[in-house]
Amino acid sequence: MRRIVGPASKTRRQIPLHLVLILVCLAVMLPIGTTVLISLKRQEDTVRRPPIIFPCDTATSSFDLSACRWATEGYQRVLAPKPSLTSPLGFVLTGNMLRLYIPNSLLYASSSALLVMLLSALSGYALSRFRFTGHRLLMTSFLIVMGVPWLTELLALYQMRVTMAKMLPFYNDRVFIVLVYTGFWLPLSVWIAKGFFDAIPRELEEAALIDGCSPLGALFRILAPLSAPGLAAIFLYTFVAVWNEFIAGYLLIAKNNQKPVMFGLYDFLGQSTISLQVVAAACILIALPVIILFLFTRRSFFKAMVEGAVKG
Amino acid sequence: MLPFWLLLPTVLFVAVIQVYPALYTVWLSVQQREPSGWVFVGLGNFKRLLSLSRFSESAGHTVVFLVGYASLTMLLGFLIALLLNRTTHLSGLYLTLIFIPWTIADLLAGVVIRLLVQPDYGLLTGILQNPSLFPPDGLSFLTDTRPPPWIGDFPFPPSPAMVLLILVATWRALPFVTLLMLAALQTVPSEILESSKIDGANEFQIARLILIPLMLPTMVVALSNLILTGMNGVGTVFSLTRGGPGSSTDVLSYMLYTTGWRELNFGRAASLALMIAAINLLLIMGTLRLTRTEERSRQDA
Repeated sequence: MRRIVGPASKTRRQIPLHLVLILVCLAVMLPIGTTVLISLKRQEDTVRRPPIIFPCDTATSSFDLSACRWATEGYQRVLAPKPSLTSPLGFVLTGNMLRLYIPNSLLYASSSALLVMLLSALSGYALSRFRFTGHRLLMTSFLIVMGVPWLTELLALYQMRVTMAKMLPFYNDRVFIVLVYTGFWLPLSVWIAKGFFDAIPRELEEAALIDGCSPLGALFRILAPLSAPGLAAIFLYTFVAVWNEFIAGYLLIAKNNQKPVMFGLYDFLGQSTISLQVVAAACILIALPVIILFLFTRRSFFKAMVEGAVKG
Repeated sequence: MLPFWLLLPTVLFVAVIQVYPALYTVWLSVQQREPSGWVFVGLGNFKRLLSLSRFSESAGHTVVFLVGYASLTMLLGFLIALLLNRTTHLSGLYLTLIFIPWTIADLLAGVVIRLLVQPDYGLLTGILQNPSLFPPDGLSFLTDTRPPPWIGDFPFPPSPAMVLLILVATWRALPFVTLLMLAALQTVPSEILESSKIDGANEFQIARLILIPLMLPTMVVALSNLILTGMNGVGTVFSLTRGGPGSSTDVLSYMLYTTGWRELNFGRAASLALMIAAINLLLIMGTLRLTRTEERSRQDA
């Protein structure tokens, strides 16, 4: 029954398959592609009726490549460059997005991702290598905690913030939000980290222990290098999650100049409802860092997600 | 003692940031804010909540949303994973492209889709407002109101805005489900597939009798993840519809947000939050139970 087919005819038989997949990819990428298009239009081309896809029509033809009116107006209004004598480039970018919100989010995302990575490495190691009373209970509790809705916890965290801001003289929203994000993404990461440690054979560190290495030494000298890709995946996963988080950053930070990037987008929606090219440009600027990060590190993303989900 | 010290910081973090707030919400759910301070009202918040017409309406919207988005995502994810598993070339490239929406924030996804479909200027609006494609007078996702319900007050068929919300949620969740399904498909031994083909099984039989049973554990994981994110996510509603038009996309999580931070009724919001948490738990336990009975019946057979 089985036919023996050469590689060439096998490739040919796969053509319909590829066509379907190309269609799927196009459909999935469509909203992103159109946002890029809108962000590169001039104001008057974004409010045409009926709407046009490319700003390339002329009085005589509906699409003329030489007549395209691409513009960076949207990006200019987000970034707000101002001439400056002191800057080596001759201008500085004064838009709040780049001046405040993106640095804020970089700070929150990288600090919480770093904390999550370190703490989940320690706990993942403990849960993978030691058996103790309450081991199962702890693992199950982490799982149950993941099932509690984010908004449920925010009700209390919001009240906690209000009380602490009143009572503690050294209270700081920036520190609090990093701690909240860390606590929120730790349980999942502990599960992922345990999975990664389970996959590393015990014999390696047992040999080190016999040679006189301490358990902690074994963790840092033997296991840490071996589990580096897994830990990097946890860092990246948490970074993206914090970068994309909106509601906690919006509710738990009082000062506008400390708010994260998603608040910046929300802010733009309020003030320029009709300037579509500005909103689109803001979206692209916010999404771009994460998309680039993902493209360069997609393998560890895939690994962390499969690991976290299947074990969890 | 070493594991204790290694685990201590994590346990402290989770206790302070997740466990304590969850317990505090339980306390909050039986309190009401009065000028004098918090006053114990017993189950008053729950009773009041259950009597609100907005609650039953939002619950209906949530059911429509969850069923629509979870089934669409599972089906599409399974089909795309099947296709990807078949390709000998370029499957990495396809997977990468399909995965990009996962990196888009929920708030951002709502904004981006709004740009596409908003009245007058959206890029798809020209097509959607064409009466010959969408009779009788074109389709406007963000402003068309809900068609009359078929059964009682249950919000089905959904409003165009709800359909859009389901599509956006599917768009964001599809990458994750596809990846999980693909990973599970790749562990299915090719010998089983080949021998079933020799025995004359068609594609549909192979999927139903071999692939789905073998992938069931992964599917349960995917489904529980979908339920959790679907129940709890509020960012897309926030930026896409704000619960409207009318109240046609007012889901429970959005109601929780507005009850807490718009109406500043934290007691009632807490009782709603507890109900959502309970529904989450029930749905996930139900999904797990389903697999267990399925597995047992398969072992018996």
